[in-house]
Amino acid sequence: MEIELREIRDFIKRYSPFDVLDDSVLDTLPKNLTIRYFRRGQAFPESFADKKSFYMIRSGAIEFRDQDALLVDKLAEGDIYSQQCIADMPEQGISVEDTLVYLLPCEVLTQLRKKSAIFDRHFNRSINERLRDAVELTHAKGMRDLSAMKLEVSGLTDRLPVVVDKATSIQQAAKIMTTEKVSSILVTTDNRLTGLLTDRDIRSRCVAQGVALETPVSSIMSTELETVADSTLLSEALLAMTRKQIQHLPVLKNNEPIGILTTADVVRHLSTSPALIATDITKANSLEALKKISMRLPELQLQLSLSSATAKHIGEVISSITDSITCRLLELAEAQYGAPPVGYVWAAGGSQARNEQTSHSDQDSALIISNDFKPEHAAYFKTLTKFVSDGLNACGYVYCPGNAMATNPEWCQSLNVWQQTFARWINSPEPKALMLSSIFFDLRPVYGHFSLLTELQDAVLARTKDNQLFISHMVANALTHQPPLGFFRNFVLVQDDTHKNTLNLKQRGIIPIVDIARVLALKKGIHATNTVERLNAAFENKALSAEMHDNLLDALEFIGSLRIRHQAEQIRTGVSVDNYVSPKELSGLEKSHLKDSFSIIKTMQQFFESRYPAA
Amino acid sequence: MKLLNRFYYLFGKNFVRRRLLTQTSSSVMQHFLNQPFPDKKDFINDVGIVSLDIETTGLNPAKDKIVSIGLVEIKHSGINLGSCWHQIIQTKKNIPQQSVVIHQITDDQIKTGMSIKQAMPLLLARLRGNVMLVHNAKVELGFIRKTCQALYASDFVIPVIDTQVLAKRSLERRNAAYNNHDLRLFNLRRSRNMPAYKAHNALMDAIATAELFLAILNDIAPHSDIEQNKVRLAEFLS
Repeated sequence: MEIELREIRDFIKRYSPFDVLDDSVLDTLPKNLTIRYFRRGQAFPESFADKKSFYMIRSGAIEFRDQDALLVDKLAEGDIYSQQCIADMPEQGISVEDTLVYLLPCEVLTQLRKKSAIFDRHFNRSINERLRDAVELTHAKGMRDLSAMKLEVSGLTDRLPVVVDKATSIQQAAKIMTTEKVSSILVTTDNRLTGLLTDRDIRSRCVAQGVALETPVSSIMSTELETVADSTLLSEALLAMTRKQIQHLPVLKNNEPIGILTTADVVRHLSTSPALIATDITKANSLEALKKISMRLPELQLQLSLSSATAKHIGEVISSITDSITCRLLELAEAQYGAPPVGYVWAAGGSQARNEQTSHSDQDSALIISNDFKPEHAAYFKTLTKFVSDGLNACGYVYCPGNAMATNPEWCQSLNVWQQTFARWINSPEPKALMLSSIFFDLRPVYGHFSLLTELQDAVLARTKDNQLFISHMVANALTHQPPLGFFRNFVLVQDDTHKNTLNLKQRGIIPIVDIARVLALKKGIHATNTVERLNAAFENKALSAEMHDNLLDALEFIGSLRIRHQAEQIRTGVSVDNYVSPKELSGLEKSHLKDSFSIIKTMQQFFESRYPAA
Repeated sequence: MKLLNRFYYLFGKNFVRRRLLTQTSSSVMQHFLNQPFPDKKDFINDVGIVSLDIETTGLNPAKDKIVSIGLVEIKHSGINLGSCWHQIIQTKKNIPQQSVVIHQITDDQIKTGMSIKQAMPLLLARLRGNVMLVHNAKVELGFIRKTCQALYASDFVIPVIDTQVLAKRSLERRNAAYNNHDLRLFNLRRSRNMPAYKAHNALMDAIATAELFLAILNDIAPHSDIEQNKVRLAEFLS
């Protein structure tokens, strides 16, 4: 290459997918290029095109529209057009500004693809494969960045577990534990792991019960063992420990125990762990204490995202903490105002109900009261719900702007009234009901008599299942949030050909998937509230093809992980968290993966639009 | 004789070319001149155009020296970067400081170059049978003519497209007010939102000129007319 052409090579190198090529390969490119000029209004690419070529926009803009003249895509500086080389029916565009392009013969592109596997991936693989890679890479990258934090459980178990045979006496085991200075040992039967014995087991199941010290450990050990693989992420192990309320978790490598993870280990390594926060919440005796704890939530989210936890997992952890705070507030309220006159269930709505919350979103809730409810009980529940709602607000979960909260008398009703309300909403879907569907069709019991909500949900699902009219309304409503087309320069490109400075990742990426998952759940009578679980169940119920199911999960996780990263950066820099991402924050590759995700969502929306035409 | 040759220009560049061919004894010039130039009635899309930029130590061909030569070929409305040529020319005279800043060529780089005597046949071989495209052709023509006279005792002739002249014509046609500053390559490109190249070497300037020409080409005639061979070289010649 003439050294004077370096500027052209450097331009190409700045953009995906050329950014993955070695300089030595990039050096060979300029001499293969032809520069062409497209005047505004000229057809792109040229129809006569003697030689099929790959195009890169040097300056200017090219627009693509479908047969209905709707904007489909818009290319700007650094964007590529490879359809002549890889598509059977290349789309035709029009230059909307005076445009300079670099052309590379398709044969040269083919050679480049042979030289670099990563480069080749960009062209060869389908959208879903590219996105799958991206999702995996995002998590792998987070892991590398923080390898120092030993985020796999194997990094925390610093000693081999002490193991005894099941015939060992309790006293012998206690002696071993004392010399080895451990609080738990593993018990094997014929070298197979069959049990776990802890200090507490010896105290509560042996000493307290007066069991003889010569008795074999097998009689008092825990046999229903939870274990984790050595590669399990610390955050996931923590979640397992929190959920199952266990303090000792054996860690296995190739099915061999390599250590025992204890809550103490975890506390040593992570001051901000979900388990720790959850424990502190149950101990909190005042709103002040809860407020203080809830201030640690953003830090928890940051830790989790740095530990390369998946977006789904982070949503689960944050939601479970919110559950704990809600429960504690209700306990405190009942302690202050007395036991409830009749049974009730506090149900979370929206993202908390779906286990998809990120730290400190709005509070959405509903109270379903037993049918024994009498008008004179209303005052009690008014006081109770106000206490909890104010408490949540003080803890950072601001009041729902739509007033979809248990403090709203409409949202605090007996089961019978709720049944009637839902029946009305389902039989004649009104705009308000549809607007609030993300809250009241996503309800999850948090505290109280769970069966009240189950009964309501059973009735609701019985009404919605295969209810074509209702489903059509819901589909139409679900299609109101359209994903953008992609990016154009440093703007977000949206359908009506306007450019936006920022992209609302939640509204334009996540919500469209959440909405469709809800429709599928209602149509198929699926109880799950979590979007991933709903999509899984929809797939099992044959309401979703395997391909669409996989693609949607990947798109959801990819967009979710970008959102989590964006929020982590905001938490780190101390600004309030939101969902607005500027295209400038995104790399070329991320933009291209986002575009893939948008096109998956678009395909899904088109599918549902044609399948359930507006009623 | 020189005056007479100027007179023959009225009969066209090929007429002058043939006359010079009969007069020169230099094999380099003979080779350059024995290939006919495109005719002005040829279609613009078919003719070979060489976009050229020459960097010099100053503006006076009598005193100043050529520092580097850069060129690229245009055919069928496409700039073929595979045809790029860039050559640094050795000079005995040191380059004035100011010039170094403009061309970003240091004395060290110049030492790696070849002499003008070695470079000139290569340049003429590239221009042979083609149209020369230059932004503000006076300078380039002056230096090439002077060099041909010094090395081969021959005058130089070639059909020329000058983007500066074309831009000026276009501004005048539209009765737009302009000054000389507006006619500089950089400013003409900027007014069309064409990318600003950071490097100012002869080759990048030749490419920049070629790109500007493609834009002007599309001003003068609709793209389809050019493609369908309805537009002739004559419209662009200086």
